[in-house]
Amino acid sequence: MSSWSRIRSRARATIRRSDMEAEMDTELHFHMEAYAMDLVQSGVPREEAMRRARLEFGGVERTKEECRDARGVSFIETFLMDLRYGARTLRKSPGFTIIAALTLALGIGANTAIFSLVDGILLRPLPYANPQQLVSVKGTYPKGGFVAMREQLSTMEVAAYSEDHEFNLTGYGEAVRLPGALVSAEIFSMLGTRAELGRAFYPGEDLAGKDNFALLSHALWQQRFAGDRAIIGRVIELEGVGRQVVGVMPADFRFPSARTALWLPLHNDPRNTAAYWAGDFMPVIGRLHGGTNLEQARAEIKMFQSRVTKMFPWPMPAKWNSDVTVLPLRDAMVGDVRGRLLMLLGAVVLVLLIACANVANLTLSRAATREKEIAIRSALGAGRGRIATQLLTESVLLAGLGGLLGLMFAKGGLLLLKATLPTDMPRLMDVHLDWRVLVFTGTLAILTGFFFGLAPALQSSRVAPAESLKSGGRGAAISVSQRLRSALVVAEVAFAVMLVLSAGLLIRSFWSILHTNPGFKSGHLLTARITPNESFCEDAARCLTFYRSVVNQARVSAGFADAALVNTLPLGGRITKRNVDLEEHIAAPGENAPLFWLDVVTPNYFHVMGINALAGREFNDVDEAGGPVAVVTAGTARRYWPGENAVGKHMRLLKEKEWRTVVGVIPDVRAFDIQTSEPDWIEGTVYIPYNSTATLEDGRVPAEMTIAVRTKMDGLQAESTLRRIVSELNQEVPISEMKTMQEVVSEAVSTPASTTSLFATFASLALVLGMIGIYGVLAFLVSKRTREIGIRLALGARRHDVLWLVMKEGAKFSFAGVALGLAGAMVFTRLLTSELYGVSPLDGITYFSVTGAMASVTLLACYIPTRRAMRIDPLTALRQD
Amino acid sequence: MNKPVDVLQGTLDMLILKAVSLGPLHGYGVLLRIQQISKDRLEIQQGSLYPALYRLEHQGWIASEWGESENRRKAKYYRLTAAGKRRLQSETEKWNRMADVIAGILSTRREEV
Repeated sequence: MSSWSRIRSRARATIRRSDMEAEMDTELHFHMEAYAMDLVQSGVPREEAMRRARLEFGGVERTKEECRDARGVSFIETFLMDLRYGARTLRKSPGFTIIAALTLALGIGANTAIFSLVDGILLRPLPYANPQQLVSVKGTYPKGGFVAMREQLSTMEVAAYSEDHEFNLTGYGEAVRLPGALVSAEIFSMLGTRAELGRAFYPGEDLAGKDNFALLSHALWQQRFAGDRAIIGRVIELEGVGRQVVGVMPADFRFPSARTALWLPLHNDPRNTAAYWAGDFMPVIGRLHGGTNLEQARAEIKMFQSRVTKMFPWPMPAKWNSDVTVLPLRDAMVGDVRGRLLMLLGAVVLVLLIACANVANLTLSRAATREKEIAIRSALGAGRGRIATQLLTESVLLAGLGGLLGLMFAKGGLLLLKATLPTDMPRLMDVHLDWRVLVFTGTLAILTGFFFGLAPALQSSRVAPAESLKSGGRGAAISVSQRLRSALVVAEVAFAVMLVLSAGLLIRSFWSILHTNPGFKSGHLLTARITPNESFCEDAARCLTFYRSVVNQARVSAGFADAALVNTLPLGGRITKRNVDLEEHIAAPGENAPLFWLDVVTPNYFHVMGINALAGREFNDVDEAGGPVAVVTAGTARRYWPGENAVGKHMRLLKEKEWRTVVGVIPDVRAFDIQTSEPDWIEGTVYIPYNSTATLEDGRVPAEMTIAVRTKMDGLQAESTLRRIVSELNQEVPISEMKTMQEVVSEAVSTPASTTSLFATFASLALVLGMIGIYGVLAFLVSKRTREIGIRLALGARRHDVLWLVMKEGAKFSFAGVALGLAGAMVFTRLLTSELYGVSPLDGITYFSVTGAMASVTLLACYIPTRRAMRIDPLTALRQD
Repeated sequence: MNKPVDVLQGTLDMLILKAVSLGPLHGYGVLLRIQQISKDRLEIQQGSLYPALYRLEHQGWIASEWGESENRRKAKYYRLTAAGKRRLQSETEKWNRMADVIAGILSTRREEV
């Protein structure tokens, strides 16, 4: 027989199924009628002829069934049949279906969301040409150092960039402050990204005098210039300087960061020694030349480092960049986010394990109760392969349901993640839903359900069906799977304990973060950056007059209680550094003077911020007029003048002629982050009044100040008042980053906040799933032992004996799980150490309370099945089957 | 006349192939032809004819086509395919050899052993 005809017949059988049914019907009826007609012709009465024709033909339905078999039944038909059957069984036990589908959905959804994040940030190649060649030089270099590097390296080409620059854009609507980057001219060609419109920079365009160009981000082009293509070649005013727009970068170009709105060429000017060798110290990225590897690049950069140190016009400390090396760019960009992401991944994998254990358990219970059904089907002649196919179809159906829900959870979860995570997380914008993960976790879940459903089912179909039928479903497979199920439930509880404990530690840590005293009072405090052009402040008197007017106007404005200016707001993310000479601590020649955080403030600043001086006084209007004074923090005073009164001591900014007198000591302010006052490379903090002597490293007075206003009115009103004050004084001065101090604080804690809330979410998921697991196993146990309990009751057992009987089982799971979980947590929570603040990873209180809580919660899950057992009526139970 | 005998297990397919080899027939026609050429000595369970027809068609030995019966009714006609012709031939040879062997065995007398 030709395989072609077999295929054709089978295909026809599938596609034209209803046609063939109709044809078969016609054919059989034709036969009977033809026979009846022959009988009529031979003299049989018509009625009798029809009756005999039907009778002699035999069972029409049976014939049809045999015909269908003969013609061959298609896989698809079987599959559809199984699908219908599966849907029917699932519909018949909605409890199981809903719980299993939700469990799957939660496991699949949470894992897909987190893994999409991990993939988008850690694993996916950078969106540039040949990303494997891209590297980052660990170390920063001034312009002169970078230019030398660009000329001398042979293993790679390099490009430098300087982030954290801001530019006022004026002349296009309201003046705005834009975040931008200064870049060396070849950075775009090195990354392999072309401009969307116009061109990127040409080589040599980062030289002083040839650098009056700007590149716009796609978003800026759309928002400020309405996507006008004629922008190319036009001159726009940035910081009061005209720059020609040469191009627009594509929307997905996010280097160095997603918020970069402008790129300007580096201003390389070897004649300006100070700026060339001491200005910005910039990160450097590179592209390895074909044929060179990371090791060669590392060796070369070390050689270069020893040469470049000697090129400086002054001696450089030996430790400067002494640990210079070359890293893959992706690793360098991701940096410390890796640890946190892997921690989240660990948590979510635990959730998946719990979900799988739960599904396994549910299907095991179900398979045991279905033993009878399966025995019947195998007694009726269903082969083991056929039964397995049917169970697989059912698993697929269930997983499909769970997967669909999981997809929804994953999508929602990912949106939530992007909203929860700190916006400065690198590559967060590149994260998309990962289909591979969805398919992977979905398949894992299907297989879990399938194998755990299949094993007992096949076992029961192998043992004589008669046995199972006789015993009413309490067959042999149960004792085997009972042990497995207990193990699964204990594991589930243990995983849940580990997650809940981690979440507990993080919550305690976050609580202590929220309750640390930052050193200032954040209530009713509105802050905003007021930033005239840098050139505006080259005339110090003009700059000071402008700011003085702003503060004075704000102080007398109705609704404002008080106002003051500061150059770097606590937790604002900016640092101004300055070397200082301190009385009794003058640096020896060849040694560096201590590097301080320099805060420049107006009188009343401490009062506005709610900072009370510990000793001495705060700045007054006399100081503002030019008094040589300073205020230090308690930590700084302790460090340099321990056991002495710092008030009355003397200090000065490096190269200042006049010594300043310390007039006050204030408590330490959490300025760098919520846990620390200063970064570790800063050696003290000093406040000086904002006047013409308050100069930065470049010899100018600060041109970027933040105003802090104590308000008596609501937020929006206060904001518009502040805007009006500034724009009435000078329309060209943008006002940006308008936030309440509380917002500033909550942004500063957004990283621990997001980690904590994610862990808390996973822990609650784990807890719920674990409870479902215990409940499921106990409920099954009770239903299997109904008869036994009935007999015990009939023989005189009391209700509380039954309570003990069932609770004993539950307590076994609960305590074993909690004990194992605690042991696991001691290892697992060690990974959290870097995220914990003010709490040890082995914090006793957390362990104690989580143990108590988990034990009670798991015992609570035993309550419903136990109550059912206690209410068993012995008569009904004994009459059962 | 002898009482009709039930058709031997496994021979119905061969009989159907033979019947349609003499010309296209519908199902009832196949039944009539077998009865006619066997001179009513074979009894065929009418219903059992159709699964056999479907099986033969599925195996590609006969092919079917809708046509009109002698009394203008829509009927499904079966005809022998080339593969069916070869099959009929080999089945016939096999049957004849088998019948010879069986007949030889059954006709053996004591003295011939």
